[in-house]
Amino acid sequence: MSVLSLSRLSYSYPDQSGRALDGAGLELDGGLTLLTGASGSGKSTLLRVCNGLIPHFHGGVIGGVARVMGREVALTPTRELARDVGFVFQDPELQAVYATVERDAAFGLENLGVPRPEMLRRVEEALETCGIAHLRGRAVATLSGGERQRLALAGVLAMRPRLLVLDEPLSQLDPEGASALLAALGRAVRGGTAVLLAEHRQALARPLAQRVLRMHGGRPHDATAPEPSPGTPAVAAPAAPALLRNLPRAPAETWRLRGVTAGHGRNPVLHDLWLSAGSGEVVAVVGPNGSGKSTLLRTIAGLLPPLAGRVERAPGRVAYLPQNPSMLLHRPTVRSEVEWTLRRSRSRESADRVLLGLGAGGVAERDPRDLSSGERQRAALAAVLAGGPRLALLDEPTRGMDAAARSALVAAVEGIAASGGCVVIATHDEELAMALASRLVLLDRGTAGERGSPRAGHA
Amino acid sequence: MNPRALATWSAAGLAISLSTGNPVYRVIVVLCGLSLVVARGRRGPGARALVAGIGAASLIATLVTALLSHTGAHVLVRLPGGIPAVGGAITLEAVVFGLATGLGIAAAMLSVAPLSLVCAPHELVDALPPALARTGAAVGAALNLIPGTVRSAIEIRDAQRMRGWRARHVADWPAVAVPVVLTAIEGSVTLAEAMEARGYGSGVRTHMSQGRWSRFDSLVTVSAAAAGVVFLVLTLTGAAPAWYPFPTLQAPAVSLPAVLCCAVLLVPALGRRDP
Repeated sequence: MSVLSLSRLSYSYPDQSGRALDGAGLELDGGLTLLTGASGSGKSTLLRVCNGLIPHFHGGVIGGVARVMGREVALTPTRELARDVGFVFQDPELQAVYATVERDAAFGLENLGVPRPEMLRRVEEALETCGIAHLRGRAVATLSGGERQRLALAGVLAMRPRLLVLDEPLSQLDPEGASALLAALGRAVRGGTAVLLAEHRQALARPLAQRVLRMHGGRPHDATAPEPSPGTPAVAAPAAPALLRNLPRAPAETWRLRGVTAGHGRNPVLHDLWLSAGSGEVVAVVGPNGSGKSTLLRTIAGLLPPLAGRVERAPGRVAYLPQNPSMLLHRPTVRSEVEWTLRRSRSRESADRVLLGLGAGGVAERDPRDLSSGERQRAALAAVLAGGPRLALLDEPTRGMDAAARSALVAAVEGIAASGGCVVIATHDEELAMALASRLVLLDRGTAGERGSPRAGHA
Repeated sequence: MNPRALATWSAAGLAISLSTGNPVYRVIVVLCGLSLVVARGRRGPGARALVAGIGAASLIATLVTALLSHTGAHVLVRLPGGIPAVGGAITLEAVVFGLATGLGIAAAMLSVAPLSLVCAPHELVDALPPALARTGAAVGAALNLIPGTVRSAIEIRDAQRMRGWRARHVADWPAVAVPVVLTAIEGSVTLAEAMEARGYGSGVRTHMSQGRWSRFDSLVTVSAAAAGVVFLVLTLTGAAPAWYPFPTLQAPAVSLPAVLCCAVLLVPALGRRDP
């Protein structure tokens, strides 16, 4: 009996005519299977069939065969399947139920009615496997994103599932958090749990996978042969470096920080920063979580007044993309969202051009809240970058993006830089930084150090 | 302090403040409640706002009672009868009765306020009886979402401002209000999915944490229960007579056993602050 058995599986979401899954088939017995695919290709849908969230939580129309440990998914409620299948979601902040670490890890065991001594043993074991035993007694609100994801994993492993399903768990983590989570996953696999992992960040996940599948046309296809990694966008757009070389040596300054100390309340996150950038420059700000990247962007934008020092900005429109940009979406269609921004920035650019430039033309008429997470990211990017900004501040823009969306983002950034704007990107993604940036700023505990031009080698 | 012990204390405080009109007893309950909040309550703007709110409510109750009851022997001032409700004689008796009513409101609210100021929210949720355990878990999870929602509201407002939004008319507010509500709803749905995926709703739940119960908790429970019961008996049998300022003002009769019952409510404030 396989752990997971899908055959001729089809599914459509309620009120949608198209099929999210179409004739999907999959047999899983053990090891780590990596599921990749473009945004909106049905990865999340397939994963949620494994523990019954589809169809029980989300409704819709399901057909075909889906069995977990021999039980029919369509006939077994999620809380029963939860004994055999554990699920880790994308957002580290939306999975914790209790306020302290051990108690939250025990939540699943409490639901299953496990007796207390056994509960304590299993929680201990799970915390060890996930490498967070040292966080015992801590309040969940004080944990970083990576630690929270490991806590979510511990909570799930404590239930001793046969199948572990993870939906883009690395998308909001910095490299350190991501490798710690993958190490914990590796230990779980060696302990005999079958793992099904959906991820865009293939470079990190591939080394662990015994099998790789690619979602396309509503069903998974085998893709274990090594794929060329999503090509460094510099290869795709060779014209851009030439443009940058033609700019005058001292570009007109777009913003400058003079001795700025900034942060919240009594604990400043940035200390005495002297930085500036000018038109045509693309500055990548890198550093671990908590080093102050978001605070830096907010200070440059003028959203956070500095505790000391001065912030100067040239006049012109500033585009600011927050860490979770899909929360900005409030209009009924993606197109009206873009038009909303265009109206307020009094730009005569056409919404269609903006949408096409970011590869979001296909979802222009859809409700942004109905899109998959990667598609929403693209829609939010279109909504924020519309109107030819003079200064664009992007906070982790590539979260949850597939390869096509990343190239679209790179093209958009290069477009802004080419027309004289300045772009500052805070990112964990070293590939992106290398591909795009004319300057690299390293933030470490609130102090900045420049690393010179990563594109110097592309001349 | 164990929330169930504190809940017994709150019940006793409520029983005393609501069963008698005598301002002397109510004053003692107010003082005991304030001592508990000061000695063991969480410090901070939230606590200060709560106490200020209680003060405001009491003041309003006092004014309303004083201005709306027009009986009594000693008239202080006579307002023109044409003014609705307030017009008429404002008497000393009414003012004194107003003060007593205000004290009653303060006493009742200060009996209940320590539940939120002394105990952490998840401790309260844990202390619910088994029948409400599942609801308690859901409420606890919801409480975890609140800080994130507040933060996202601020972020949304800032980010919309950067897109060119300005709060000029009422019609502009949906640009911030709608995303905040939608984001909160989506966050709740995602959290509900996660809880479901961890087997929530399966049936009888076991508990990892065991509420600690110390000797001090027993002392608080027993003393509060005794105080409440004895006070009610005294009131009902007439040993602690009721006080009523109308038609002529009279000093409230004070019975020593009743005063002792109220003073017993000071016990929880004498314990050490929780770490």
